[in-house]
Amino acid sequence: MEPTVLQEGSQIPPDAKTHFKVCRFIMEAGVKLGLRSIPIATACTIYHRFFMEMPLESYDPYLVALAALYLAGKVEEQHLRTRDIINVSHRYMHPRSDPLELDTHFWELRDSIVQCELLMLRVLCFRVSFQHPHKYLLHYLLSLKHWMNRHSWDRTPVAVAAWALLRDSYHRPLCLQHAPQHIAVSVLYLALQCYGVEVPADTEAERPWWQVFSEDLSKSIIDRIVLDLIQIYTLDTEIS
Amino acid sequence: MERDLLRQALGFHGPALLSLLRTEQHDNPDFRGLLPPGGPGLETLPPARKDRGIDNVEIQNFIAKKADLLFSHSWKTNVPTITEADEENEDYYAIMPPLEQFMDVPSAERRELFFRDIERGDIVIGRISSIREFGFFMVLFCLRSGVIREIADLEITALCPLRDVPSHSSHGDPLSYYQTGDLIQAAIKDIDRYHEKLTVSLHSSALSPSLASTKLGVISSEDLPLHYRRSVEISSGLETYEKVLQHSLGFANPAVVEFLVGKLGLSESSPPSLMRRLQSQNFHEEDFATALRKKQSASWALKCVKIGVDYFKEGRHVDAMNEYNKALEIDAQNVEALVARGALYATKGSLNKAIDDFEIALENCPTHRNARKYLCQTLVERGGQLEEEEKLLNAESYYKKALNIDETFQEAEDALLKLRKQMQKSLEMREKQAAKEERQKEKKIETSVEKLRKLLKEEKRLKKKRKRSTSSSSSSCDSSSDESTSSSSSSSSDHKKRKKRDRSRSESSRSSKHTPKSSLNQSRKDDCYSPPANTSASFLNQKHEMEKLLERQDRLAYQKPEARDRYYSLPRTSLYEEDHGGRSEDSRDSYSSAKTQANSNKTEKQGKVDRIFFDRRESTGPCRRKSDDKNKTQYSGKLEKDGGRKEQHRKYSPSQTKYSTSPTGSDYSTKSVEHYKRYTSRWINESSRYSADNRPELAQSKREREPRSRERDPAQTQEVDEEAALNGKEQSGSGARKNLPQNLLNIFNQIAEFEREKGSKQKNQ
Repeated sequence: MEPTVLQEGSQIPPDAKTHFKVCRFIMEAGVKLGLRSIPIATACTIYHRFFMEMPLESYDPYLVALAALYLAGKVEEQHLRTRDIINVSHRYMHPRSDPLELDTHFWELRDSIVQCELLMLRVLCFRVSFQHPHKYLLHYLLSLKHWMNRHSWDRTPVAVAAWALLRDSYHRPLCLQHAPQHIAVSVLYLALQCYGVEVPADTEAERPWWQVFSEDLSKSIIDRIVLDLIQIYTLDTEIS
Repeated sequence: MERDLLRQALGFHGPALLSLLRTEQHDNPDFRGLLPPGGPGLETLPPARKDRGIDNVEIQNFIAKKADLLFSHSWKTNVPTITEADEENEDYYAIMPPLEQFMDVPSAERRELFFRDIERGDIVIGRISSIREFGFFMVLFCLRSGVIREIADLEITALCPLRDVPSHSSHGDPLSYYQTGDLIQAAIKDIDRYHEKLTVSLHSSALSPSLASTKLGVISSEDLPLHYRRSVEISSGLETYEKVLQHSLGFANPAVVEFLVGKLGLSESSPPSLMRRLQSQNFHEEDFATALRKKQSASWALKCVKIGVDYFKEGRHVDAMNEYNKALEIDAQNVEALVARGALYATKGSLNKAIDDFEIALENCPTHRNARKYLCQTLVERGGQLEEEEKLLNAESYYKKALNIDETFQEAEDALLKLRKQMQKSLEMREKQAAKEERQKEKKIETSVEKLRKLLKEEKRLKKKRKRSTSSSSSSCDSSSDESTSSSSSSSSDHKKRKKRDRSRSESSRSSKHTPKSSLNQSRKDDCYSPPANTSASFLNQKHEMEKLLERQDRLAYQKPEARDRYYSLPRTSLYEEDHGGRSEDSRDSYSSAKTQANSNKTEKQGKVDRIFFDRRESTGPCRRKSDDKNKTQYSGKLEKDGGRKEQHRKYSPSQTKYSTSPTGSDYSTKSVEHYKRYTSRWINESSRYSADNRPELAQSKREREPRSRERDPAQTQEVDEEAALNGKEQSGSGARKNLPQNLLNIFNQIAEFEREKGSKQKNQ
């Protein structure tokens, strides 16, 4: 996926807040469904891809989110049962309510999820497998870990912060706008910055560490992605 | 908040971040606690090392806002101290050469960093450069554990002193084992960071505990770590990190993320997030899918149980069972379903299954009152069953179990006390029984002798009567034929004919005897066995007819011989009762099965009878004139068929013990016992009355007619009606049993009680 032309940080599309909320729902439901990071990321990506093709007005975003979760479970080989998806989302929409009875209403909900899944597949032309930054990030972390002093590494939760940043990044369609390596490097960069961790001998080296991980990456790209990431958190405070 | 971490960040970003933090986190008591009221605190900061970028302000803002999460203790604990004990496996993830190799870090920095980061217990690999008397020197070129660095070009030497070289043989210099150029894997023992001197050891005690199993000493080039071989491979070319990564086998592993997440100590079950609302530790446990599903399943199962209970109330036990099983399929541990199914099992008589269900239910919910109550009741009932099966010890254990569950359960206590008394008695009983059996044997011999005597008397009397009976019998026949539902009018000639035929085909021993004798045989045979003998159904029919006939005989008052004839058969029938009564007591299940068998037998029988009736009608149609004769021949034919079997019975009849073991004996279903019971009791009364009467003349003709009419009866519609009536009664009876098992149990108990009394009475006679 080639990075598309970046929007400036200040410009937030009008539907962004809705999508943000729905993505928040996907992530929360994903955790409650016991989904791993990759399927959740795929679900969010499917959701973003769908609404890149389709206008928000025509579809119920939450139904699309449910179908995206269901489809992502299939794509990433962590199959979910629609019953669980419906239960968790019903509880999300109606906190502290009892789970739905398994009546016709329930089966209608289930059918609509399955139908929506088929629709999404057609809209996405069956391209539902994505390259996620996760495994890049993990390998970068591993390489960096060996280069860093082990005590400072153990003391600093860089890996956790980077992982959290990466997961949170799926609130916005960053993954569709940037190469996975770039996102991985950027979240790592931001995590290191947060803790004030410097990569040893970075200044003396021929190439900075982030250039090693991705040849076509530039400092400006990292800066932009970092700004995008920070903007997600700004949006979060705005909404909640 | 982590003070050290915060200091580190502040040291990096400078005082600007601190002021931001002050504004953003001033509400956070945790942060304020970190700010010292004076002295060395966060205030004493070195100036920011980082040159300011455009984004730096944004990042600092971000840090300031998220400081409570970024520097929280919970994140800190997420990072475990990772040990490198696990062997590197190319299949799991991409093993990359050291990062600095791609960064092209100058050797001076690398050397400095190496001596900064190397630690005791790390495993190094080098080549022996020189061997001295105090040890050997090796040049290190790669590291196996701890930090992975590129050191091949750094010419770092390490000394392995003699005392750290294990001796391989009992004598000689341990160093003689090693040669210059050997590849040696050793553990770092001592580091002089200032003079950059290393001491290594070949003793595994120098290793860190997690790596204790690593083999130290000479290794081959195949044993070199993967990352080193990788770095050698790429050092020649200009391969980038990205390309090596992409081409690595482990990178394509679908589970690489899962594996590395574990390796890096990241949690997938409670994933980290910098969003406050996505903090997974704030999620409610009951909102998770598994909890919701469980709740939903439980309510669904409960619904099924309710439907099942409704079915049960309607008497649709199979449907109810299906619903219960469905409920348990949905929620295997559903207590209500288990209790309901247990109750159904108990009502169906499968007490052991019921007990199992109740026990599982109680395991899952030890406070369930119904489960406890039902389990106690079922245990006591099962104990009662076992008691009847004479398994007193087992029964006792069941009662005790019930008492263990509920100490206040009165029924169990009573039953247990009763059982203990019974157990005491049982020994005495056994002795008594043995004595009784002895006595009985003697008695039996006696009775058979008496019987023979009586038979002989009877024969003589009959012989006398036969001589003058021809005229009287024909007249009496005319009068009685109207009463009889059979269409036939019997005549003495017919009778004789039949007798003759009978005699002619009878066994040689019998044929030699007189006619009257054979007639007696015939009549006795008829009396005891209706034509299609050997089935319970036929027995029932016979008894019904008998009842009718007896009533008729009440009206006609000349039944003595007939009655006496019957009387002979009495001991035998009572014996059956004892036999079968005992069996029916064994278990209710076997009883009911026997009963259904009897039912089916009977319906079969009815069909057969119908068919026979039809056949006869057709065959008699063309030759109506001689219908009587025809009928008789038919009957004699039938008798012929059954003759063999009857003869057998006759043989058995004198010895009653034999008889009870004969196949026919077992054919009599327990159901028929009930009927037997009623009739026998009647006969006793009537026979005593009959014996008072003395009308030998009329009795003769009656006796002749009697068997025939009864014999023919099955072929008649009346017979069929009676059959149907009986069946109806039977069915309604079984239906009632289903609905009212308790009532029937009572009835059975009464029957059993009655039979026992009867049996003893008979014996006493």
